[in-house]
Amino acid sequence: MLERRIRVLFGKVGLDSHYRGVQVLSMMLRDAGMEVIYTGLFQTPETIVHTALQEDVDILGLSFLSGEHLVYTEQVINLLKEKGLGDLPVLVGGVMPKEDIPKLKEIGACEVFRADTPMDDIINYIEEAVKERSPEITSVSN
Amino acid sequence: MTEGKGLVDEYFEKPKWTRTWSRIPVKSVYRASDLMDADYEQDVNDPGEYPFTRGIFSEMYRGRLWTRREVSGHSSPAASNRRLKYLMEQGVTGLNIIGDLPTQLIIDSDHPFAVNEVGVQGTPLATLDDMMILTQGIPMDEVSFTFSAFTPVMAFYIAAAKKRGISPGKLRGTIINDTIHYRYCFGYKFPLDLGVRLGVDSIGYSINHMPLWYPFSVECYDLREHGIDAVQELAFGFAIAFCLIDECVKKGYQVDDIASKIAFTMGVHIDIFEEAAKFRAARRFWAKTLKEKYGATSNKALHFKFHSNTSGCQTVRQQPLNNIIRIAYSALAAVMGGTQSMQTVSFDEPIALPTEESARIAVRTQQILAYETGVTRVADPLGGSYYVENLTNEIENRTSDLLAKIDDMGGILKAIETQWIDNQLAEAAYNYQKEVESGDRIIVGRNAFIISEKEERKTKVHKKDNRSIKSHMTKLQKVREKRDKKKLRNAIDKLYEKSKSGEENLIPGMVEAALAHATIGEIMGTIRLAYGYSYDPFGMIETPFEGMEQ
Repeated sequence: MLERRIRVLFGKVGLDSHYRGVQVLSMMLRDAGMEVIYTGLFQTPETIVHTALQEDVDILGLSFLSGEHLVYTEQVINLLKEKGLGDLPVLVGGVMPKEDIPKLKEIGACEVFRADTPMDDIINYIEEAVKERSPEITSVSN
Repeated sequence: MTEGKGLVDEYFEKPKWTRTWSRIPVKSVYRASDLMDADYEQDVNDPGEYPFTRGIFSEMYRGRLWTRREVSGHSSPAASNRRLKYLMEQGVTGLNIIGDLPTQLIIDSDHPFAVNEVGVQGTPLATLDDMMILTQGIPMDEVSFTFSAFTPVMAFYIAAAKKRGISPGKLRGTIINDTIHYRYCFGYKFPLDLGVRLGVDSIGYSINHMPLWYPFSVECYDLREHGIDAVQELAFGFAIAFCLIDECVKKGYQVDDIASKIAFTMGVHIDIFEEAAKFRAARRFWAKTLKEKYGATSNKALHFKFHSNTSGCQTVRQQPLNNIIRIAYSALAAVMGGTQSMQTVSFDEPIALPTEESARIAVRTQQILAYETGVTRVADPLGGSYYVENLTNEIENRTSDLLAKIDDMGGILKAIETQWIDNQLAEAAYNYQKEVESGDRIIVGRNAFIISEKEERKTKVHKKDNRSIKSHMTKLQKVREKRDKKKLRNAIDKLYEKSKSGEENLIPGMVEAALAHATIGEIMGTIRLAYGYSYDPFGMIETPFEGMEQ
């Protein structure tokens, strides 16, 4: 079996332009040996799902600081199912009230990391989640 | 640190980090010998005296307290109007409205991309009609009004005043209007040539017509929130301001007039002495540069005028009530640094939009500071401190060096175009995160003194008011249908021509378009087209005005 690095797609849906968190997390995941594809700002659910298909990613992370996490996460997950990517783990992160965590999980998010979560927790989670889905993939570079 | 260590270790605990939070090395004690070279009159001087290190007014807060200005704005102009009146009852002395994301992005509430974001982060201001509702029952010729928004909103405010028979000359307040820093806060690349034009024209119009209005506030706060340090905050902010001054001079305006119109929106963090020193350094550097380099002479131009905003990114989600303490210390730093105006963020900032309760606590934080602590009694209480004077010098020197570097690059516009600034911001955010993750920077509740999620208190969360937003959308639809199409088209055509010529000031044309009920997106889109850019920054819609297509 050929080993390859974990491929993570990070996306920002809608007009929310707070990109510091997702940018720093991308850099940290790269340090941890993962390959990160960042869509940039102002994506729609369609462009996010299109990129996920094109890039053959192992996990998708959506970042929200605008309060629109419920609406957009649902739209992205529904579209993923439509396109046959229903098993792609979807992480949600950013600023959101605690009571929305169960709602996001009900919609289909695999995990929710709110602001100020230690980076190591996120890295460990991604490694585990991806290993479960595709055991041949590794986070160690080279 | 506490975890896994014995009581003896804790008893002898020493702080691990000994530099300032901006990583400036400091000694364990400062003495008179550290200030041997200083000349009091030349370098420090009394409050109200050049170079204004100790404050821009001789009496400081004894003469006038700082403006307590809490930000508000959500759902709809009508709901925001109610919140403004509530805040006025609670004792705020300045009004501060933030536009929702579509308003900040200068697109309409019914733009296909805006649908989910209307009224979420602020209030929608899509037309003059929205501005009329927002300011209903508020004496526009008496209050001081601040907008976190851009030039078309200034046009709406002027138009609303005109409609009520109030001269623009009576309007007091500030609009952020910093279209140069724009891309670092709102994400899309607002064209820099257009950004400069709007800045210059806003300043020019205000010089001639709005003596009480600050048409441009350099947005240092947004830049600082990326993770940069106090020195970078000052240097990047000054670079933007000096660029504007240069451009205004090219247009024939006088330096004294221009500099009088430029204010700053500063971040304020928790490193008390560093932040206070930052403001002292900023005042001196601004005054000296304006006088020595630009030849300004009036005090109003030499005064570094600023509003401060306690840092939002420094609030912590875990154990959120602790943020009240963080915000109070930051507010203390701003006041000891001589701020003219302040917004204290709400303790629930990292969780959701503020509730009425958290917004009230934010106001109370400032009131306790103003009325109970006694900090207002004496101007510049830290002046003469060996440490603070030294740190003031250090921050000023470092700022000057960094500005020289930006100058060598060809100025701030070049530093932006080449993405040098982008890299500075990314690097700063990354380094900060590393320091937090490694525990070098202790953040209580975040990487030290943690409690379990179960023990975390349930926080009341502000809810989006969908009914109010829906009513705003219906009103916008009605405005579009009812407006006089001929008058609108006429105003839009004139605005297009004026934008294209590059000569005349754009503000009167924008006000005329506003009075003809043009929307924010139509006003901005028309100017964009005249400059050769797409009507819509997202390329999703075309101009509704026939014959004006690209």
